[in-house]
Amino acid sequence: MKMTKYNRSAEPKTPALFAAASRPVFGRVFECGSAGLLRAATYFVLCCGLVVLGDIALKGGRTVFQAQWPFVNVSFLTQAPESLHVFEYAGETHEMGDAQFRAFRANALRGAGRAAEPSSPNISGEQGSAVPAIRSQSYVYAAGGIWPCIVGTVLLVSGAMGIALSLGIGAAIFLSEYAKEGRFLRLVRLCILNLAGVPSIVFGLFGFGLFVNFFGWNVSLLAGWCTLAVMVLPVVITAAEEALKAVPSGLREGSLALGATQWQTIRRAVLPCALPGILTSSILGIARVAGETAPIMFTAAYVVRDKLPWEVERLGDFFFQGVMALPYHIYVVSTKIPQNAYTARVQYGTAFVFLAVVGLLALGSILLRGRLKKTYTW
Amino acid sequence: MRGLSEPKNPPAFQIHKRSRRIFGLSREEAIRAFFGGQALVAVVVLALITVFLFREGFGFFAQQRAELTRYRRSGVEFVDLLRAQEKAHGELGRRLGLRGEAADRFADAIVPLRALLGELGEWALEIKESEESRADGAPTRFGEVAEITAQYPKIEDTFGELTAQLGTITESSPGLSPEQRAQLEKHLSGFGATLAKLRAWDAEKPVSGWQAARSFFFGRQWLTASFWQDFYGVVPLFTGSLLVSAIALGLAVPLGLGAAIYVSQIAGARERSVIKPAIEFIAAIPSVVLGFFGIAVLGQALRALSQVEWLAWLPGFPYAERLNALTAGCLLALIAVPTIFTLAEDALASVPRALKEGSYALGARRMQTVARVIVPSALSGMVSAVLLGLGRVIGETMVVLLCAGNRIAIPDFSAGLGVVTQPVHTMTGIIAQEMGEVATGTIHYRALFVVGLLLFLIALTLNYSAQKILGRYRLPSLR
Repeated sequence: MKMTKYNRSAEPKTPALFAAASRPVFGRVFECGSAGLLRAATYFVLCCGLVVLGDIALKGGRTVFQAQWPFVNVSFLTQAPESLHVFEYAGETHEMGDAQFRAFRANALRGAGRAAEPSSPNISGEQGSAVPAIRSQSYVYAAGGIWPCIVGTVLLVSGAMGIALSLGIGAAIFLSEYAKEGRFLRLVRLCILNLAGVPSIVFGLFGFGLFVNFFGWNVSLLAGWCTLAVMVLPVVITAAEEALKAVPSGLREGSLALGATQWQTIRRAVLPCALPGILTSSILGIARVAGETAPIMFTAAYVVRDKLPWEVERLGDFFFQGVMALPYHIYVVSTKIPQNAYTARVQYGTAFVFLAVVGLLALGSILLRGRLKKTYTW
Repeated sequence: MRGLSEPKNPPAFQIHKRSRRIFGLSREEAIRAFFGGQALVAVVVLALITVFLFREGFGFFAQQRAELTRYRRSGVEFVDLLRAQEKAHGELGRRLGLRGEAADRFADAIVPLRALLGELGEWALEIKESEESRADGAPTRFGEVAEITAQYPKIEDTFGELTAQLGTITESSPGLSPEQRAQLEKHLSGFGATLAKLRAWDAEKPVSGWQAARSFFFGRQWLTASFWQDFYGVVPLFTGSLLVSAIALGLAVPLGLGAAIYVSQIAGARERSVIKPAIEFIAAIPSVVLGFFGIAVLGQALRALSQVEWLAWLPGFPYAERLNALTAGCLLALIAVPTIFTLAEDALASVPRALKEGSYALGARRMQTVARVIVPSALSGMVSAVLLGLGRVIGETMVVLLCAGNRIAIPDFSAGLGVVTQPVHTMTGIIAQEMGEVATGTIHYRALFVVGLLLFLIALTLNYSAQKILGRYRLPSLR
């Protein structure tokens, strides 16, 4: 059969008058319109996130960063919180932290006292007349820094992640290497999934009832560690299991073929391969543990504490002391003191430091996980 | 065959390997058991949480029953029936909006009842407190309640006076509208029922456990640390939680699902690689920081927005409370969107390509494919995503504690959609707020545990139904 070449130009042409009518206008408008609407929705969400982050970064940055070297307000990060005193003296308004204010006042009293010596003709024995009365308006927690909170958060996170990682990696090893399909495995998986959906305040309640009251540990680091570990356990187990499953089975089979036992296989072939993945995925767990307030509210956190965690008399006391924590400090500083220009400084500064820490952890986790996913192509 | 056995090694080469057995298990089995024990921890913890919440919670109902019995036997319940009348009078006054002389007379009309209430109330309170603090074996004062109920004729007279007073107000105020008159009539006709209740009240009627449970699950008042009587009704908290969640989902579901559809179907690869991590990053913002943002910025911004003149047609605008359900709802929506987005996007991306290609092959446009082929086949995933978002939002504590206004009362739904601008309190918020102030073992402590139990069961139900709908088992918090 002879194939003739298709002659495009021999097609009947639509007259120009009807060309517009044959184009599906409604369809195209609907397409572009709805796609545009969806794009707007997506970018609106991102915008909202950006507004929140930007606001805290801008206003918090004013407290945390400074123009001179070392560019970071080190005193904010290394001092304990104290009250801010705002007062007028010699016609000027001063703002000072508590310790500084007391020193200033003592100085001022001493200076006025010197003027009240017998050599001065003005004073006639009245002690109070030449001493300037310094009336100050004080705002609790509005001065000083957040050092104890940072220390407390670091301690809580490290202890909780230690417990969670040791339990979680063991559980993941069992689930992926040892377990056979059956009732027990289904039960464990069901429990892990349900545990992931429990609200954090219920964990706090559970920790309060069990660790603080029933075991009698009172508000302590131990109770906080256990509560936070239990809360982050599902995340760690799932992450570790993912990492273990990504190890190609050829590695295990080769090891077993060479005569290694199961445990030897896991220890020498599977775990070293999976460990980077496990640790990377657990960074997200660290971000969650650091960011949660409700579990530590009644189990580990104090509103204010004048001793740092390592200032204990006995080693045993270390585990049974409560600590200050960053998220709880933000809560206290937002609710227990009024909103004004002075308190806004420390509020935003604390929120900025906290957000920076958690944000860096989360960002690291997202980026590293993305990079690792690409290397999982064996 | 006989005689064919393994050649025995000469003595020097015989293998002497003793296998050590710990608790009757070989080393491999022991290691397996060790790891199995660690996997069991998740099961144990969930069981412990359930057991603990139930244990502390069920103690509540027994204590509540004893409390309600004391409430009844000391006559406080009787006085509260009268007090309800006084409150209704005050509410009626607010609704009528009387002015001038009529308003003064209306206010004066309740004075005799209030005086009677004060007298009887003090008496009943004394009886109740003496009952709590008396030593064992000391005589109880419950007998005096009979004297309180014997005051019924005096109460009847007071009601009669009140009726007469309200009648004169109705007659002598010509400016009253028909609705106002109707409301007054309705109020007066309710007196008969109240008097009947007072007559029929019996101090010795036993309180059943069922009533104690009802007083919690359907009680409309949560009042603690009151000098009069503590009430533990969860309805105001539950409605607060539901209201805030409804606002949050109302904002988050369109945005989250829309973003998921956009990212999985329309966006290019580069755009996707930017948007997905960005939304995951929003999920990592700690909730206490969002709560602080709400107090510091959003509350005031929304209030200022509501005062704008050309927005006054919106229900509930303008309003004066900076911290209310709307502020909390907006922030909770920001928390819920990443959850909904991640799961919905996963569901949409796992629709088989053949469906999409077949639809294109039949000549459908892109949005037609999305709307008629892809979304329906991913619907179970999207519904499950919404349910998990709801679970996340109901369980959120810090945002509602900081931003929702903390007023423990059932929101006034007569304002229609404007109810969103009222301050509310939620179940999570009440636990966080009051747990630090209660002593262990008191009825208040147990009541908070029951609220926690309710939350736990709600979250478990939502989680379970979401998984059932999804059909496969995935963890929502990761990814």
